[in-house]
Amino acid sequence: MTTLSFADPMGSDMSENRIASDPAPIDDADARLEEIGPPPRARSKAWIVRLASIVVVVGAWEIFGRQVNPLFMSSPSAIATAAVRLIADGELFEALKSSLWTLLVGFITASAIGVVLGLLIGRYKTMDAATDWLVNALYSTPLIAIMPLVILWFGLGDAAKLFIVCILAVFPVLINTAAGVRNVPTQLIDVSAAFAANERQVFLKIIVPATLPYIMTGLRLGIGRSIIGMVVAEFFTAITGLGAMIVKYGNQYDTAAMFVPILVLMFLGIGLTTLLKRAEEHFAPWRGQED
Amino acid sequence: MSAPPIKLSVRNVTKTFRVRKGSDTSLLNVLRNVNFDVRQGEIVSLIGESGCGKTTLLRIVQGLIRLDSGDLLIDGAAVKRSGRDRGFVFQQASLLPWRTARQNVEFGLELQGMPKQARADRAMQLLELVSLAHAADQFPHQMSGGMQQRIGLARALAIDPAILLMDEPFSALDAQTREVLQTELMRIHAQTAKTTLFVTHDLDEAIFLSDRVVVLAARPGRVKKIIDIPFAHPRPELTALRGDPAFQAIRAEIWSLISTPPVAVAA
Repeated sequence: MTTLSFADPMGSDMSENRIASDPAPIDDADARLEEIGPPPRARSKAWIVRLASIVVVVGAWEIFGRQVNPLFMSSPSAIATAAVRLIADGELFEALKSSLWTLLVGFITASAIGVVLGLLIGRYKTMDAATDWLVNALYSTPLIAIMPLVILWFGLGDAAKLFIVCILAVFPVLINTAAGVRNVPTQLIDVSAAFAANERQVFLKIIVPATLPYIMTGLRLGIGRSIIGMVVAEFFTAITGLGAMIVKYGNQYDTAAMFVPILVLMFLGIGLTTLLKRAEEHFAPWRGQED
Repeated sequence: MSAPPIKLSVRNVTKTFRVRKGSDTSLLNVLRNVNFDVRQGEIVSLIGESGCGKTTLLRIVQGLIRLDSGDLLIDGAAVKRSGRDRGFVFQQASLLPWRTARQNVEFGLELQGMPKQARADRAMQLLELVSLAHAADQFPHQMSGGMQQRIGLARALAIDPAILLMDEPFSALDAQTREVLQTELMRIHAQTAKTTLFVTHDLDEAIFLSDRVVVLAARPGRVKKIIDIPFAHPRPELTALRGDPAFQAIRAEIWSLISTPPVAVAA
């Protein structure tokens, strides 16, 4: 798998240029064509620039952060010190554990509901007509707004948090899944009809695999909203989790400690989104080469 | 020697579509009283200018489109719905992009409920038949158009259909690949003796491949003439055949049949 930079723009079109009478298959699906020339240095160069950019931004923050009142702003070094303290006494770990549980249980439930409903709504016009107005209305509403109501219903415990995480994540998953079903190419449906597939086979062997990339996109968008839902729910209930930690140190005017859970949330968001992005590519290697 | 039995009969097939343009609707008579037979082991081509309903007719034979009136008989029995006694090769190969070549060939067998090992073996036989055994584990996006079309053919043949239906399968390929695949199809036909109904708009292709050519007239689509192609099998390469005066005479005849007289254009 040699993927260096300066890839020949023709590389991705290789299959078109091949003559079918003499099929010369590329053994490695990930192989790319490159020009033979001076050794490519762009890749390492990009990393040097990136690293320099990080050093400059974090350095500027450090210099600027030290000069203002620590109540309003903190500096990277102060945050690092606070992080060591919060990790050592176990508070950060406890909060992270609580948050992750809420996030994952809520998100997985939302995904299951969203995928099943999305498949049905995308496939059956009656289901679509019965629900589209509601789905669109709820998707467009910033559902965070119903948080006070959710607390009235479920109290300050886990149920309220799970509910809000779930309801925020379910719509992007559902809407993307349904769009995926509607976008299954007619030719593929024709293939299943020509081979006399029954409805169950059409669903399992054509619609679900064809929709998988859309489902993965829905999940990626859903996880972002789940994290927002989780933090807001923890702000309101303010008992456990990273959100509660932010509220606590905010109230104590300990700005450096407040930044620690914020940074953890940032890394959590980046990590989970990257993970799902990878999964998206893994499940649909053909995408992007066809359209 | 008596003629082989009739495999497929198309009897008085008529089809009209409703065309909706904004709030207006009009009726489009695509096929009117189409009649022809395909005998066991024959390759019959449907040819005609665009809009003559040749693809519609083929899709009706497969059962992808319902006919308004008329009958389809396979071995003398009427068929109404899509079935695995017919194998369809699509104009765009229409392979399932998430399946490897072998898994694509297995598709029809899988729907029939054939056990895993048996269908893998059968798929490999067919990949060998279309000379693509080496590409069994490749995905469609890694294959050229010609390879994809061979896989499409293998997929249709895998279910061992009584009749093979091919909808302009080579029309999207470059000229060189097309000729290679035409020769391949002749070789495969010699091995399988599959009764084949082949839609094309390419005159040379129709004459080269077919035992008979059904020439359709357009709007509404109807049979204008059925022409016997006299060349014995195995046939010489298309390039050699083109030089044959008999070939040129047939080509000229079909050309004069399908080229639209100016009057019809005005109407």
